[in-house]
Amino acid sequence: MPEHFRFTRNRREFLCDAFCGFGTLAFASMLAREDARAAVRNPLAPKPPHTPDTAKAKSVIFLFMAGGPSHLETFDPKPLLNKLDGQKRPAAFGEAKYQFISKNAVLMGTKRTFQKHGASGIDVSDLLPHIAECVDDLAVIRSCHGDMVVHSAAQYQLMTGRVIPGFPSMGSWVIYGLGTEAESLPAYVVLPDPKGALEAGQPMYGNGFLPAIYQPSMFRPGRRPVLNLDLPAGVALEDRKKTLSLLRRLNEAIMQPGDEEFEARINAYDLAFKMQTEAPAIFDLSTESQETLELYGIGRQTTDDYGRRCLLARRLVERGVRFVCVVSGGGPGNLQWDAHQDIEENHLRMAAQSDQPCGALIKDLKRRGLLDSTLVMWGGEFGRSPEAEGGQGRDHHNLGFSMWLAGGGIKGGQVVGATDEIGLHAVEKPYHFRDVHTTILHQLGLNQDALSYMHLGRKERLTEVHGHVIQEIV
Amino acid sequence: MLTSRALLLLCAAAVYPLSASDEYAPLGSYTAAERRHWAFQKRRNPEVPVFSDAAGKAWVKTPIDAFLLEKLRKEGLEPAPPATRRILIRRVYFDLIGIPPTPAEVDSFVSDKRPGAWERVVDRLLASPHYGERWGQRWLDVVRYAETDGFEYDTHRNGAWRYRDYVIRSFNEDKPYNRFVKEQLAGDELRPGSQEFEIAAGFQRLGPLRKNAGNQEVASSRNEVLTEMTNAVGSVLLGVTLGCARCHDHKFDPIRQADYYRIQAYFAATHEREVSLASEAEQAEWKKKSGAFEEQLKKLRQSMKGLEGAAKEEIERRIKDMEARAPEPLPAIFSVSNDPARVTPVHLLSRGDHLRPGARVGMRPLGVLLEEGAPEYTAVPENPRTRLAEWITSPENPLTARVMVNRIWLGHFGRGIAAMPNDFGRMGGMPSHRELLDWLANRFVESGWRVKPLHRTILLSSAYRQSSHSPIGKAARGKDPDNKLLWKYSRRRLEAEEIRDAMLAVAGRLNLKQGGPGVMPPVDQELIDLLYKPSQWAVAPDIEEHHRRSIYLIAKRNLRLPFMEVFDAPDLQISCPRRESSTHPPQALELLNGQTANEMAEAFAARLRKEAGPSRVRQVELAYRLAVGRSPSKQESQLAVSFLRGAPLREFTLAVLNLNEFLYVN
Repeated sequence: MPEHFRFTRNRREFLCDAFCGFGTLAFASMLAREDARAAVRNPLAPKPPHTPDTAKAKSVIFLFMAGGPSHLETFDPKPLLNKLDGQKRPAAFGEAKYQFISKNAVLMGTKRTFQKHGASGIDVSDLLPHIAECVDDLAVIRSCHGDMVVHSAAQYQLMTGRVIPGFPSMGSWVIYGLGTEAESLPAYVVLPDPKGALEAGQPMYGNGFLPAIYQPSMFRPGRRPVLNLDLPAGVALEDRKKTLSLLRRLNEAIMQPGDEEFEARINAYDLAFKMQTEAPAIFDLSTESQETLELYGIGRQTTDDYGRRCLLARRLVERGVRFVCVVSGGGPGNLQWDAHQDIEENHLRMAAQSDQPCGALIKDLKRRGLLDSTLVMWGGEFGRSPEAEGGQGRDHHNLGFSMWLAGGGIKGGQVVGATDEIGLHAVEKPYHFRDVHTTILHQLGLNQDALSYMHLGRKERLTEVHGHVIQEIV
Repeated sequence: MLTSRALLLLCAAAVYPLSASDEYAPLGSYTAAERRHWAFQKRRNPEVPVFSDAAGKAWVKTPIDAFLLEKLRKEGLEPAPPATRRILIRRVYFDLIGIPPTPAEVDSFVSDKRPGAWERVVDRLLASPHYGERWGQRWLDVVRYAETDGFEYDTHRNGAWRYRDYVIRSFNEDKPYNRFVKEQLAGDELRPGSQEFEIAAGFQRLGPLRKNAGNQEVASSRNEVLTEMTNAVGSVLLGVTLGCARCHDHKFDPIRQADYYRIQAYFAATHEREVSLASEAEQAEWKKKSGAFEEQLKKLRQSMKGLEGAAKEEIERRIKDMEARAPEPLPAIFSVSNDPARVTPVHLLSRGDHLRPGARVGMRPLGVLLEEGAPEYTAVPENPRTRLAEWITSPENPLTARVMVNRIWLGHFGRGIAAMPNDFGRMGGMPSHRELLDWLANRFVESGWRVKPLHRTILLSSAYRQSSHSPIGKAARGKDPDNKLLWKYSRRRLEAEEIRDAMLAVAGRLNLKQGGPGVMPPVDQELIDLLYKPSQWAVAPDIEEHHRRSIYLIAKRNLRLPFMEVFDAPDLQISCPRRESSTHPPQALELLNGQTANEMAEAFAARLRKEAGPSRVRQVELAYRLAVGRSPSKQESQLAVSFLRGAPLREFTLAVLNLNEFLYVN
């Protein structure tokens, strides 16, 4: 059993790896010889899902609300919490560990008001009016929970299924399993918040021990979102074309016929050139209608940045990019959803930036017929504490919080699971990050056990402990 | 009033809220079948096969060849013919020192008609100070060396680079491997006060470290630290997946959960320690300076309260500037020591959760390698890690020597005799040549655990000197597609560091200075902005420093250099016993559009103009000789010269740095 596989060393290895060791031979024989050849030349060529029946989604967009948005101010109304405002938590609700607040903290009600929306009548707070308009497409999971109460470790678990760095992110796993349909674009894109980095840093998005081909492409703010996509100053495209042609001819001059590894290298240069010439068009939003730009809030200062990135996410999945993560929040805690000091100030500001773009993305995907094949997920690494921190803030809270999924075959217009009456513990149908991961894989037609990789003697997968598909919503 | 005993119990209860038991876990037993696994058996003394036929006699230069030939013939295969000297010299240079030979070095080997030419090259390279830089990197991969904590703050570790230099030095000195291991496991115990030994003991602290603000979870952090130390013993030194037994008995190997925690018990008293290398006066001075600095910074931060807009931004800018000018930490060693006052009681932890402790355990090596019922030490001896080190480096230990010999073999051939270098357990599969592995391990131990003689034995074999092309390639691939039996030399792509170092060398820019703190080269500002604390990235002011060998560039967990990342350098978080070798478009973009590649193409062009003069033919000739160690063919020369009629030289040199032949070793 290979410990690591190397792409393109030979076709036998490729066929073995391409299906992650799952029904290798059956799939291999199904593949036409020429398809296999093409795949050897481009290891990110699309691959068939493990379970075609459940493969409803082709792409994933993760709207990552970094820092931990409060469930109590968004999707999980708790009238009792308002009643108990200023009191100690009744012992019956049990214990919780927090990062900052002490045991003496008192409960804090919310100043937000909740209203039922859509045909489904799901409660959404006045913080998120645009998302509320799409509520019939959302499956709100109110019973999410994770294991860690500090940012870095919780972010690793949300992204990679482990509380320590060094493991592949969901995006890397997904493109390892499915390849990409966007030849001239990166397969897995992260659109970080230009305001700064997050606690878990780059390793949370990374390919871990998977080969570098599965690494994320971090789009940067500004004129040059993709590293090395621009020609160096003073070099014209036509000149560089000649250089590439020379390179190809020099390589071929001494190449043995049938040398697949070197063929793959030459092919990588062709693809790189294609990316270089075709990818920049994707960043040009001027081809979008004024109506679309306004839908996303582009041109309005508050929503412009997140709006642009959400629109870019749509343009990417439209062209077959497999996994896009759009991060809301970055830099010092209060520029994330990390509302330690003042939940009102923080969440009003963060929601003002992201709510309209999130809503616009759902609406835009839907009217273009893309929502059926695009799984959209919204959430953070945890929620926030029912207790007040320093009077007006809320601390981290990993024992019960909300996320939502939409599109990609998810049954919208429903709420799943529940926290207790003050939003402390997930008490009804609790779903761990691993269950969310398993559900995402399921919608893509991937199986958590089949999507595995031998590393250091262990067959590793995205979920550390076996996850369960959230059956209510698929 | 509480008695002191009751107080003690209360304290214990605070740390262990659930049912920690004072009872010791049973010693456990291991079945004969479990003990029979090949890697747990004593090394055998295999007989070297003898060949009487002419072909066999001619090929077998060392016992290695004999073991290999025996298996090849069993499969009806033959080894490939010898590689040419031109191929060989490039192969062995990258292999031993990680940089290409100069044209003069190629010529002198190719034209050396005296007997022993190959031996002389091998010996010269093994004696080169750059040997340690190449083979040290492999060790650093395995021990997940980095100069920062990782996680949220990714704090830079003061003096961590000294461990990297220690490793390089140790390889260069050909330090016996058993001593190398002992120093790293227990240097502080063995020779307290010795800088070298204390640096070595920094090995215990190489794993990522989670620190966070707010309510400190002392017990949970301690558990994470102990986990890192324990897992490293398994993956790095013993080549078993000990870490798999943290939560439950190992699923495939006879390693019980109790075995895991019994190894962990050796580290119960181990704590981090910074050993200052500054005098007391310097330390007092520094304390004053940094105190004043912190005070100033605090004031500045306070002055920001209530400010908005431009005024706030101005203060933020000043804070940033100031942080970048924080007083340099004083020189120190990043090490560990035992603290008898802080011995963590080690219990079995249900699912590895420190809040769910079970029975207690004492110190004991892996049970499956001991006599049935071998006792554990329950009292903490003065030098616990020395005891562990002695067991690991005992000549009788069936794993240690095999694992290291296999790592060296893997370095030379791209694949181990045992395919999974960190897992000699059941899932690691059978070694392709068990007798050879034992023969090598025996030799290794007999020759005083020295690594250089082992390299030499391998390099002098016919197997190493084979061509990477075999006339029976098609048939051989059918029988042995992975080349496990070594019917040819396996071509390999250069590793990330080799590619960068080779580009610098060929362009005439490589700065061969050795040692010192990790260098931060310039990277795109956008990448720095993705750091939680962008002020951590302080670019070395001296440009020459940016051209140091890659091993001296900073190993920062949260900002890996894009060049390294794209060519499969390890992620610095977990042990990496073998590099990947993937092929994809971002590599092409890095080598075509990246800053390093273009700067080096420019420098390479300047070098050609200077050394070959204006003649295009001569420029092309020199470029090939520098980059791939041979003259261009007529066809290649014509292609290049006609290209140069319409294009600048730097575009040609860029193409050369992108040639398959440049990026691979044949």
